[in-house]
Amino acid sequence: MTNQNKETFLDRIATKSGRARHQLSKHPFIPVNDLPETTLSGKSQDELFEIAKKNSEAVHVTFERTDTTSLASLLNSFLSKKDIQNLILPTTDKWSTYGLSEWEKERSDSAEFWLPESSRKENLEKANSADGAIGFADYLLAESGTITVATTPGQGRGFHFLPTHYLSIIPKSCILSRSRQAMHKYEDAISSGKLVTSNINFITGPSNSGDIEMVLVVGVHGPLDMTYVVVEDL
Amino acid sequence: MTISTSDKPFLTRVKESENDHFMQQSVAKAQDAQWDKRTAAREELGNWEQWRDLGEQIRQHVIKYLPDYLEQFSDNVTKKGGHVFFAQTDEEAANYIKEIAKKKNAHKIVKSKSMVTTEIDLDKVLLSLPDTSLMETDLAEFILQEDDWDEPTHIVFPTLHKNRNQIQKVFKKLGYSGTNDPEEMAKFARKYLREYFMQADLGITGCNFAIADSGLINLVTNEGNADLTMAIPETQIVVMGMERIVPSLKEAEVLDNMLCRSAVGQKLTSYCSFSGKQVVGESDGPSDFYVVILDNGRSNALGTDFEPVLQCIRCGACLNVCPIYRHIGGHGYGSIYPGPIGAVLSPVLDGYEKFGDLPFASSLCAACTETCPVKIPLHNLLIKHREVMMDKLKMDHSFNNVLMKGAGVATSSPILFKMALEGDHLGSAPLSKSKKTTVDNLFNYGHIEKAPSLGAGWTNVRDLARPPKHSENFRSWYKKHKKEQQEGVSHD
Ligand code: SF4
Repeated sequence: MTNQNKETFLDRIATKSGRARHQLSKHPFIPVNDLPETTLSGKSQDELFEIAKKNSEAVHVTFERTDTTSLASLLNSFLSKKDIQNLILPTTDKWSTYGLSEWEKERSDSAEFWLPESSRKENLEKANSADGAIGFADYLLAESGTITVATTPGQGRGFHFLPTHYLSIIPKSCILSRSRQAMHKYEDAISSGKLVTSNINFITGPSNSGDIEMVLVVGVHGPLDMTYVVVEDL
Repeated sequence: MTISTSDKPFLTRVKESENDHFMQQSVAKAQDAQWDKRTAAREELGNWEQWRDLGEQIRQHVIKYLPDYLEQFSDNVTKKGGHVFFAQTDEEAANYIKEIAKKKNAHKIVKSKSMVTTEIDLDKVLLSLPDTSLMETDLAEFILQEDDWDEPTHIVFPTLHKNRNQIQKVFKKLGYSGTNDPEEMAKFARKYLREYFMQADLGITGCNFAIADSGLINLVTNEGNADLTMAIPETQIVVMGMERIVPSLKEAEVLDNMLCRSAVGQKLTSYCSFSGKQVVGESDGPSDFYVVILDNGRSNALGTDFEPVLQCIRCGACLNVCPIYRHIGGHGYGSIYPGPIGAVLSPVLDGYEKFGDLPFASSLCAACTETCPVKIPLHNLLIKHREVMMDKLKMDHSFNNVLMKGAGVATSSPILFKMALEGDHLGSAPLSKSKKTTVDNLFNYGHIEKAPSLGAGWTNVRDLARPPKHSENFRSWYKKHKKEQQEGVSHD
């Protein structure tokens, strides 16, 4: 069905520009240089880890490294250090990948879970009441200290923004150099149908604002602090 | 509606701004801080000039094929179950959004910072609906709203003109009883806004870039309010200027990096999100998703010398290096788009009758052009505006008024005149006899005997000496000025 509103608008701006419509297939975008691909390229995973650590700490992130055997105790110390009373966790099969199946089971009574079968209101209220969230990131970008997460039914959008304290678990193998590499991964996953999502978040440290006299205030609408845990043997 | 923020004549606004010493100090402080942060962030990335080439190329390409990219984007949004409305005017856009709000029976509306919604006066339109309240949730916009909808003064730092005591006073009206400490006040705003957020049924956001090949919206923020706006309410309406589009996630990523470094000196801001209509299985995010694509005068630039202004990614860097902005602040411009970009864009969107004086609020020192991440030739476009106005004058004598306003800008305010003379030799070029002003020939004129009508107010009395080509560019001016400031030298 033709959308008249669209056609009229696009015809009008094409006429104004003096250029015909439907030329793009003959003139696709070809970048003038390959800086997005080559910047920070050729680094080993160890080098990327060091760069990621430095850049994450520069944006007020607590940066931890551990392995699958020590991960559970690191999570426990996070919970006690932040004095977290109302924890929210995602619904995902990643628990077993990280050797956390037991840890997760032990929390099934005390923690809330973002549940695919729950309503918008229920999940959002759980996240809003939570003073802590422990979630899984897809990638960590070394250059900027950024975690990336695609929304899934078990780890919704509000999961990352409503709780007060936030911890994100990332495998060391998923440290990428820059945002370009993450885009390649997401584009591939979406086009192959492996990933079905409405939303991808790139999160770089806790929320902040300089709106009052340009004084940096950390923690405005989103979490007040962020912890990244890089799991070395994954 | 208009992008105008004031009915007062330009010179009155300039004089008022000149008397606002807190604003001037704040702008100077912000410019100084941003100068250092921006430079460091760009240097750290490396190859900045080549990144600018790429940024410029992306933006020029999408503007060249704008109808095709908008069509692709619109088709992808629709395929995913969203709705797209193309609005030629502000009124069409605002009415469409108002009808959605009515249809959805929206009572509590949350908005995240968006210049385009300010441009279409959306808050006023929505607040005219019965039983509807609306909350600007960006901290700065929230402060402006609660301060009787005060006007923003900067496109990235809207409350630059307010001090902590003024903000404390605003918050006291909302029941705040704490100190003027920014952190304490921000915590109060967080709690206050969170309660509202949790009840919101309609979310309205702007759009940094629309992704043509996926139908997603890219938003770049620091506070997290935009993401809550896209997570909590069932309905989301995105309002975007028609030029804010990129081919794919890859080009969005390039521009996000350039935007963050240019706007706030960060590698990436806290939140860069790529977002659309909720998909099956997800419980939050908008189940109803609307995008309003706005022209509202932007197409006036298409096919003209002003087309490059559509490349703008609203980073605010040109404001942060502008000596005129430093002096008169955002309110001085009388447009929601201030600074060099505002001086170029406002007359394109809303005509010379209203904004014909803005192209004269410039020293043409070219610092804006030099810093622009997408290489918009801002100072050349300011000269072009002056030329166009002069050409119009030849055909239409009523235009004399506009031009005299421009001449008045340069001659009536000591600081602007001083900057026009001292900032750079280019400043007086349009007053020269040259029919066609080009950057090359500008430097070859040394003296102006008789300016066309624009300069007549001045040259009828005496010949206007063309300032010599100044060895001092903006950087050296800036460094000297900063040093003097630190040493407490006053120019008053
Ligand atoms: S004109 Fe250039 S520098 Fe100014 S806001 Fe736009 S992109 Fe930034």
